[in-house]
Amino acid sequence: MAGARGILLKHLRVKVQAFPQNPKPNNGLFGLSFNAILRQFSEAVRGSFLDKSEVTDRVVNCVKNLQKVEASKQVTTNAHFQSDLGLDSLDTVEIVMALEEEFGFEIPDNEADKINSISLAVDFIASHPQAK
Amino acid sequence: MLSFLRRSMLTREPETHLWYVVPDEVKSAPLLSKYMELLPQSERDHVLGFRGDQLQKSALLARTLVRTTIARYQVDGHLDPRSLRFKRNIHGKPEVEWETKDGFCPPPLQFNISHTSSLVACGVTMNSLIGIDVEEKRRRTKNNILAFAKRYFTAHEVEHLNAIPDSELQQQEFIKLWTLKEAYVKALGKGFSSSPFNTFTIRVNTAAQESFCLNQASSGIAVETLDSPQNLTNNWQFALLELMGSHYVAICLERQETGGAGKAFPIKLTARKTIPSVEDELVSGTNAVVTIGGSVTQF
Repeated sequence: MAGARGILLKHLRVKVQAFPQNPKPNNGLFGLSFNAILRQFSEAVRGSFLDKSEVTDRVVNCVKNLQKVEASKQVTTNAHFQSDLGLDSLDTVEIVMALEEEFGFEIPDNEADKINSISLAVDFIASHPQAK
Repeated sequence: MLSFLRRSMLTREPETHLWYVVPDEVKSAPLLSKYMELLPQSERDHVLGFRGDQLQKSALLARTLVRTTIARYQVDGHLDPRSLRFKRNIHGKPEVEWETKDGFCPPPLQFNISHTSSLVACGVTMNSLIGIDVEEKRRRTKNNILAFAKRYFTAHEVEHLNAIPDSELQQQEFIKLWTLKEAYVKALGKGFSSSPFNTFTIRVNTAAQESFCLNQASSGIAVETLDSPQNLTNNWQFALLELMGSHYVAICLERQETGGAGKAFPIKLTARKTIPSVEDELVSGTNAVVTIGGSVTQF
C-alpha cells in the first residue's frame, strides 16, 4: 500500500497559483479604510437605481396627467396602455416624452416602442442608472 | 352578393377603397352580438380583453370591419367573413392567411386598418402595400407642438410647423403630419422602431404661395428618408383626406408605375361609410370626403 501511495504521490501534481502579495497602497479599494470601502460600495448600489415603488408612483402620475379629461379610467399599477386605458400611438409617444422629462434621461425609440404598460415603464426606468 | 373586386383594381394604376364605420352609429346590442359571432374564439377573447364597453366595442368593430370588408373582394363575393384567417408578418403587421387549395390563387389584396374612438377605417388595394391612419381633427397634444416635433420629427418638419403663425392651424397641420407619418410606417409594415419618425421627412409642396398648409388637392406630398436625401423616395404615394369635417385620413400606397415623364398616376379613391351587414353608403365625391393633399381622383 505504502508503495502504491508513494508512486501515486510522485505523480500527482497540484497547480500552485501565485496570489498578489501586499497590494500597492492607495490603489483602488484596497487603498481605503474598511468603512470607506463600505460607504462607496453601498452608494454605488443604492444611488444608481431608483426605488421601484417611488418610480411606480411617479409613472402613474405622468399617465394620469396625460389622460383625457373624460376618461375616468383607473390608472392602476398594472394598467396596459391600449387595452385598459384606450390610449393610441400618439398618446404613448406623449407618455414617453413626459417620462423623459420626469426622470431626466432620453428613452431611445426602439425601447420606447416596447413600453406599452405602466409596469413595463416602471421596469425600464427602475433598471436605468441614468434615471433621476 | 356582387364582389367589389373591380378589373380596374388589377391594373397598375393606384386604386384604393376606403371603408369606415362610425361607432356612435352602431348601437344595437343584437347587431354587436352578431358581429361577435363572426369572430373566432381567439379574437373574441382579444376583444373581451379590453377594459370597458367602449373599448370592447371599438375593438369589435375593427375586427368586424376587416373581415366583412375583405370578404367583399372575393371573385364570387360569396366568402363567409367567418372563414377568414389572419396572421402577422414577422414585424407584427396583420395579413390575410389564405387557404392554399388546389387551383386557388389568392387575390393580391392588401389592407390596413386604423381607428380612433370615433372612427374605424379600413383601406383596401391590390398589388401594392398600403398604410392608413385616422385622427380626429381637433386632437390636442398635452405637450407643446414644437417641443414634441423637435423631439420626434425632423428639422424640416419642425420648420414647416414653425412657419405657421396661427396656433389652431399649426395644431391641425401637426395632426396631418402625424397621420401621414403613421400611414407611411404602417405601409412599410416593419414596425415603428425600424423607421423612427425622425429618420424620414414628409415634404409638403403647397401650390398656393400664401398657404403653408395642406389644405387643397394640389398640395403634393412626398417622403424623403434621411439615408438617401438626394432621392425623394419615389416608391410611395400619399393621399390626405378630411372626412365628415371631423377627421383626417392619411393613406400611403406603394407606387406601381409612373405615368409618362415620371409623373405619378393620381390615386383613384372610392370611400364608403358602412354598418357591416346592414348598409353601405358611397360618400366619395361628396363633401363628406375632401382631398386636402396628394393627387387623388374620387369616384
